[in-house]
Amino acid sequence: MNEQQLIKRATDIPGLDAMTGGGLPAAGGTLMLGRPAAGKTVLALQILAHAIARSEGGVFVSFEESCAQILRDAASFRWGPSLAEAERFELIDARPQLGAEVSGAFDLEGLLAAVGLCLERRQASWVVFDGVDHLLRRQRNPLDAIDQVQQLSDWCEARGVSLLLTGKLGDAETAPTHLEGVEFMLSTLILVSTKLVGHRLSRRLRIAKYRGTAHVADEVAMIMDHDGVHLPHGHYAAQVATGRIEASTERLSTGVARLDEVLGGGLYRGSTALISGLPGTAKTTLAASFAASATARGERVLYLSFDEDQEPVVRNLRSVGIDLRGPLDRGLLHFAAREAWSGLVEEHYWALHQALDRLRPQCLVIDPISALLKAPGVDSAFVSIERILDIAHLRGITTVLTSLGTRDDPQGEATLSHTSTLADTWLALDFNVRGGERNRSLSLVKSRGSAHSNQVRELLLSERGIDLADVYEYGTEVLMGTARMQKESEVHAERRRRVLARQQRQHELERRLSQAEAEAAQLRQELALEQQDSVQTEQFDREHERDVLARRSTRTAHSDAPQGDETP
Amino acid sequence: MNDPADACAQLQQELVLLVTGDAPRSRRARQNLARALEQLGLGDIATREVDLAADPAQTLSYGIFATPALLRPGPNGQPDVLYGDLSERDMLERFLAEG
Repeated sequence: MNEQQLIKRATDIPGLDAMTGGGLPAAGGTLMLGRPAAGKTVLALQILAHAIARSEGGVFVSFEESCAQILRDAASFRWGPSLAEAERFELIDARPQLGAEVSGAFDLEGLLAAVGLCLERRQASWVVFDGVDHLLRRQRNPLDAIDQVQQLSDWCEARGVSLLLTGKLGDAETAPTHLEGVEFMLSTLILVSTKLVGHRLSRRLRIAKYRGTAHVADEVAMIMDHDGVHLPHGHYAAQVATGRIEASTERLSTGVARLDEVLGGGLYRGSTALISGLPGTAKTTLAASFAASATARGERVLYLSFDEDQEPVVRNLRSVGIDLRGPLDRGLLHFAAREAWSGLVEEHYWALHQALDRLRPQCLVIDPISALLKAPGVDSAFVSIERILDIAHLRGITTVLTSLGTRDDPQGEATLSHTSTLADTWLALDFNVRGGERNRSLSLVKSRGSAHSNQVRELLLSERGIDLADVYEYGTEVLMGTARMQKESEVHAERRRRVLARQQRQHELERRLSQAEAEAAQLRQELALEQQDSVQTEQFDREHERDVLARRSTRTAHSDAPQGDETP
Repeated sequence: MNDPADACAQLQQELVLLVTGDAPRSRRARQNLARALEQLGLGDIATREVDLAADPAQTLSYGIFATPALLRPGPNGQPDVLYGDLSERDMLERFLAEG
């Protein structure tokens, strides 16, 4: 059988449809087995409610609970009231009579006749037999019961109806008591289970069998809240399967200009930054600075705070010049506070996922992500963190995570949580204690896609905000605080001395240049006089020569004339 | 939603056998009931047969979903029910004797 031959009907439970590749068989039975309180009835009711919401009819046959109990169960969910009032929904109380006895074998022909009537008048495409084992266990011969499960499925398959059969499992059972082997009868088998984790009830779901189609066979967390049942893993898998990660080159400011310089212009949009450090090293301040900067650009930010409520955070940040009240009031910042201990890891994950769906933020802050390690859960906190970051990447959400370290291992927890491996940028904050002072430091451990320096810098907090200061190495140490300021002062004085010396040298050169230029002018003047004198002398000499020549010429003429006429 | 109380209120002093047409177990139930009534000398007890295959709404009315099923008037207006093809003679005789 291939995908084309198996027609499926969507349950509209995104995780389940993703895990089943489109839903449950459109014709025939799905067996859902689980321990009491595992969520079988709710899951079945929810599937019917969704079907009815999209104008498919549904029939629910209850073998264990009264109609009133079923409706009360449903009423605690968002879709419950509309299900109870739906015209295309029929609820049948099929509980065996109290005190009823059995004499020989019975069949389900009467049940099928009634269900056929209901399917027809409701134009239904779904039917649920909830707790059918409660009736079938009365069969003297278990093989009759198993045959009748097969009969129910075949009957629905022939009518093109989706059948959901639920049954109870005991501890370590793989089939309901007296129905051993039923798990082999139907082509689709879903197992739901419960487990106490840290005194909390954790529900799980596994598609143990789905013949004729690819499916996710992993056991996954099943969350139940006011909206009903959710399968976060399936929901995640569906997004990852269809999503595509973009690599933006746009840089986003952290709200700290000098840190942006260190990062080569800021954080890449859609990237993940981790800020790790001890308590009090300003992780929250730095993360909030990023959030405030994002809202200043008009972007939506989801700030998930573990273990600290909104108002104290807002007040504390105001003292360092970060205003979150304005963005909160403008609806750009959504602050969600959760207690890590108050829910399972998978519940925290799902709550965050729903908030991302609802708010569609451009930026996300989780402060601190390491709190998830405190939460109980069957799902690993590490896996949940990876999924959160995957979804953030897929949606192009720029994410800043903080992670709390300990004195013995300031950055260890971040490493442990794998977050540092997943993060594109890792800022490590710490304290530098020297000379009786405790100063905050920041170092950039890594920043993918950016040339950067690993040099430690001092993180300065003031009422004007955050800033970074260069620090000075002194032997094997770095200088911060007063020592850094003293060193800065020395450097400043030295620089000033060098400037003054340079200025003096320039003045001297200028003076010498002026003197030289004056001497040059005088020499030029002397030269001009000399040249003038030379010209005049040459002029005189030429005139004198002409005069001599003229006189000689005259004397020669006189000597050639007759003596009588000779002039004395 | 079905309300079995209405249908069961009609049970007076008669037995009602719920069957589904000529299905094998229904057929056997008819035979086993008739034989038992005769052998126990209870042939005068009124017995009414309801074919749920022919009238599925009666299934909802009686609130009986395993067939065949034998009903007799019970305390507080609720019927006593014996499911099955009535092939276990001891159970059937006790059921009839208690009625």
